[in-house]
Amino acid sequence: MTSAAYAFSLSRAMWQRSLLEIARVRGALLPTTVAPMIFLLGTTGQFGKLADLSGFPTTSYLAWILPLSCLQGAGFAGGAAGANLARDIEQGWFDRLLTSPAPRPLLLAGPVLAAMTRAAVPTTVILTTGLVLGSGLSGGIVGLVMLYVAAVWFCMIASLWGSFMALRAGTQQVGPLIQNGVFLAVFLSTAYTPLGLLGGWLGALAPYNPVTYVLQMARQATVVGIEPSWAHTWPGLLSLTGMTLFFGAIALRQLSRLGR
Amino acid sequence: MSAAASIDRDPATQVRVVGALAERALRVQFRRAQFLIPSFLLPLVLLAVIASGTSSARHLPGFPSTGAYIGFVVGGTLMQGALLAGITAGIALAVDIEGGFFDRLLSAPVHRVSIVLGRVLAGGALGACQATLFLAVAFLFGARYQGGVPGVAFAIFLTALTAAGMSALAASIALRTGSLSLLQNLFPIVFVLLFTAPAFFPRDLLNGTMRSISEYNPLTYIVEAIRAALHDDTALGSPLNGVIAASALLAGATAIAVWAMRARLRAE
Repeated sequence: MTSAAYAFSLSRAMWQRSLLEIARVRGALLPTTVAPMIFLLGTTGQFGKLADLSGFPTTSYLAWILPLSCLQGAGFAGGAAGANLARDIEQGWFDRLLTSPAPRPLLLAGPVLAAMTRAAVPTTVILTTGLVLGSGLSGGIVGLVMLYVAAVWFCMIASLWGSFMALRAGTQQVGPLIQNGVFLAVFLSTAYTPLGLLGGWLGALAPYNPVTYVLQMARQATVVGIEPSWAHTWPGLLSLTGMTLFFGAIALRQLSRLGR
Repeated sequence: MSAAASIDRDPATQVRVVGALAERALRVQFRRAQFLIPSFLLPLVLLAVIASGTSSARHLPGFPSTGAYIGFVVGGTLMQGALLAGITAGIALAVDIEGGFFDRLLSAPVHRVSIVLGRVLAGGALGACQATLFLAVAFLFGARYQGGVPGVAFAIFLTALTAAGMSALAASIALRTGSLSLLQNLFPIVFVLLFTAPAFFPRDLLNGTMRSISEYNPLTYIVEAIRAALHDDTALGSPLNGVIAASALLAGATAIAVWAMRARLRAE
C-alpha cells in the first residue's frame, strides 16, 4: 500500500469511527441544532425591527440572521469534535492511538472530517426552518453553495480549535470553554447588524474579526443586499484560509508535544 | 418515636434551619466556581455584545428614551442572570442528590419544606448578588438610573424574587429526576424564556408572534417593571405588575418544588 493510500484508509477509518457517535449517542446532534434554532427564532422575534433601519441591506431580519445561525450550528458541531477528543484522551483511547504507527496528523484528520460531515445536519435543518418561516433564497444556487462552503469550513476551523483545547487540557471539562470560544468568535462580528450600523467597541472590533467576512460570504445566500459576487466571496475565503492555517498549526503543534 | 415526629416544628427553629441551609448552599456554590462562571459571565458577555451590536435600535421610531442604550438592555441581563441562577441552584441540588448529601439531610430532624426553602433562598441571594454586579458594570459603561437608589434596590429585589422562583422550578426538576446531566442540558430553556419576553427590546417593537407569546410570559412584566423602576418611568412598565408576576412565579414554583419533594420521599 502506498503512503497516500495508507493515509486515506486510516483517515477514512477514523472518520467512520467518529461518525458512529451519531448512531450510538441518541440526540448527539440535538444541542448543536437546538441552540442555534432557538437563537434564530428568538433573535428574529426580538430584534426583527432592526431591519427597518436605513442602511440595513435587507428588509427581512430573518434573512440576515439565518446564515449566522447556520454558521453557529456548524461551529458548535466542530466544537463538539474537540469535546469528544477530550473524552477520548481522558478515557485513554487516544493514548492507544498514539502508540500505533499512524502519523499523528492523521489522528486529527478523522474527527475533523467527521465534524465537517456532521455540520451538514444542523446547517440543513436550520436553513430549511428559516426558508419555511419565510426567508428567501435570493442568492440562488451560487449563494447556497457559498453558505455551505462557509459553514462546513467554519466547522473545520472550530474542530481544530476544539482539538487544540482538548489536547492542551486533556479533560472533558474544557468542553464549555471550546463552545464559548465559538460563541464569542461569531458574536464579536456583524452578527446583529451590518458594519455601518455597529456602534461602540464592537464597531471598532468587528472589521478585524475574520468571522465578519465569513458571515458576509454566507449571507450571499439569503440577503438581498449582499448578492453573490467575487467581491463578497474572496474576503471570506481568505479569512477561512488564514484561520485554518493558524488553528491547524497550533493543534498540530500541541499534538506533537503530547506524551513527550 | 418516628423520624417525622422528632422534627422540631418550632417556626423560629425552622427559620434558622432555612437560613443555615441557604448559607451552606451559597458557600458550596461559590466554592465550585466552575458552576457559577456561566451565571455571572455569560450575561455580561451578552450584555456587552447586545449593547454594542444592536445600539442602532435607538433610532427606531417608538424606541423609548432611557439615556444610554445599555441602560435599557441591562434589564434583560438581570433576567438572564436570574434564570441562570435558578438553573445553577438546580444543578447544585442535583449534585447533592447524586453525591448523597441530600439523603443525609433527609435523615436529619429537619422539616422537608425547609430543605426546599433553603435552596430557594440561596437562589434568591445569588440573584441579588448578580443583579448588583450587573447594574454596577452597566453603570461603569454609561448606564444611568434615574430611579436612584430606590429604583436600583427595587430592581435587585425583583431579580432576587425571580431567581428564587427559578431556583424552586429547577429544584423541582432536580428532585423529580435527580439527574445532573438533565439539569445541565436545561440551559437552552433559559434563552427560550428570555427571548419570548421583551428582554432586550420594547414589547411594542417585538414582531407580532413574539409580542403575542410575550403576554403569557411572566418575565415580560418583571423586566418591564425593572426598567420602569431603574428609569423612574411608569410608561416603561408597571412595578406592581412586576411584583405580582414575580411573587406568583415564586409561590407557584415553590409549591411545585414541595410537591416534588413529597413525591420523591414517597417513591423512596
